Amino acid sequence: MRFSRDVLRIDAEGEANRICDFIKDQVLQRYKRKGVVIGISGGIDSALLSVLCARTLEPERILGLILPEKESSPVSEPYAREQANALGIQVERVDLTPILSQLGVYEKKEEVIKRLCADYDPDQDKTKIALPWNLLERPSLSIFSLIVQKPDGSKRLFRLGADDFRAILAAQNMKQRSRMIQLYYHAERLHYVVGGTTNRTELEQGFFVKHGDAGVDIEPIAHLYKVQIFQLARCLGVVERILNRKPSPDTWSAEVSDEEFYFRMPFETLDLLLYAWNKGVETSEICQVLGLQPVQVERAFQDFESKRKATWDLRVMAPSLCA
Amino acid sequence: MKAKIRQFVLNNFLFTGSHEDLDNDASFLDNGIMDSTGVLELVEFLENEFQISVEDTDLIRENLDSVNRVCLYLEKKGAAACRA
Repeated sequence: MRFSRDVLRIDAEGEANRICDFIKDQVLQRYKRKGVVIGISGGIDSALLSVLCARTLEPERILGLILPEKESSPVSEPYAREQANALGIQVERVDLTPILSQLGVYEKKEEVIKRLCADYDPDQDKTKIALPWNLLERPSLSIFSLIVQKPDGSKRLFRLGADDFRAILAAQNMKQRSRMIQLYYHAERLHYVVGGTTNRTELEQGFFVKHGDAGVDIEPIAHLYKVQIFQLARCLGVVERILNRKPSPDTWSAEVSDEEFYFRMPFETLDLLLYAWNKGVETSEICQVLGLQPVQVERAFQDFESKRKATWDLRVMAPSLCA
Repeated sequence: MKAKIRQFVLNNFLFTGSHEDLDNDASFLDNGIMDSTGVLELVEFLENEFQISVEDTDLIRENLDSVNRVCLYLEKKGAAACRA
């Protein structure tokens, strides 16, 4: 197939059926479990998985877990409930704030932030980290900055040193790992599987947490690029507010999209470039179709390669001496 | 200058004292020698060792992605760095 802007279009109904067959086979036959637990975030990936599971299994075989904490977006829970109600699936809610506080997540982050931003007020200010935008327009390396947002809307940027970045990331990753603990508690007590919501864009670029959101039993949508997630979600009737919501890690008090946080360009362009990179499409053809310069394509491909290399361990079993 | 940079990379990313393991033109990022966070460690080393300030706009492959590129970058940053 020639490379074009339509190359990622899918037969939504056909793909939905294929995924539903996969879910049924994995859950009921391979695992021999009674249902699926899904962490429903109010985001598009978990909404799509919920819809697909609801097409496959009776509603009483699906449990949606809402797992808010004090830095979650205020829209996450209502959006998640709206989707769950539309499907008639059960929902349980566990506030992770006490657990995360006990683990020192907020305290550890604040320690770093206060060192960088002397007038940081955790009760008033919002924070996030992000990579430089936009990779296609700027040759800068993928190095995170901390952004402190004041109540008046003003923002202050601080480049993160290696130790500070690792300290913040290690603390934050406890959020995804705490979610995993709750998902497995409920899955095991109900004899269900944990349904994963990683998509292909995230998988290939290492945008997930080891034993966090990657700690699951099945990954029914991991073969779909983000734009395909949107396509399928629109066709299968995911609620409008979720379709219109910018995907976000939802782990920071300040709003930050996935694109801003990690991918450094819009998904519509990113996924086509990722596809082209995977398929070895000639740079000249990519430039012609996407209206880019060769240097931009090369920059994107270098970033893809760096991220894939840096996150190799997320996609393999732990190395061992087993034969 | 080059020797200090090489030693830093060998000690902190390749974990070897063997100089044959590091080519001066080898891309740190493309060869998996370091990732973006590793580049931050390199930047901190350069700032401390050579008394320079690495601006955000300097955080590009051209300046930081191999031993030779780092040396060229330090030369551009000024005589004080090169005398180190």
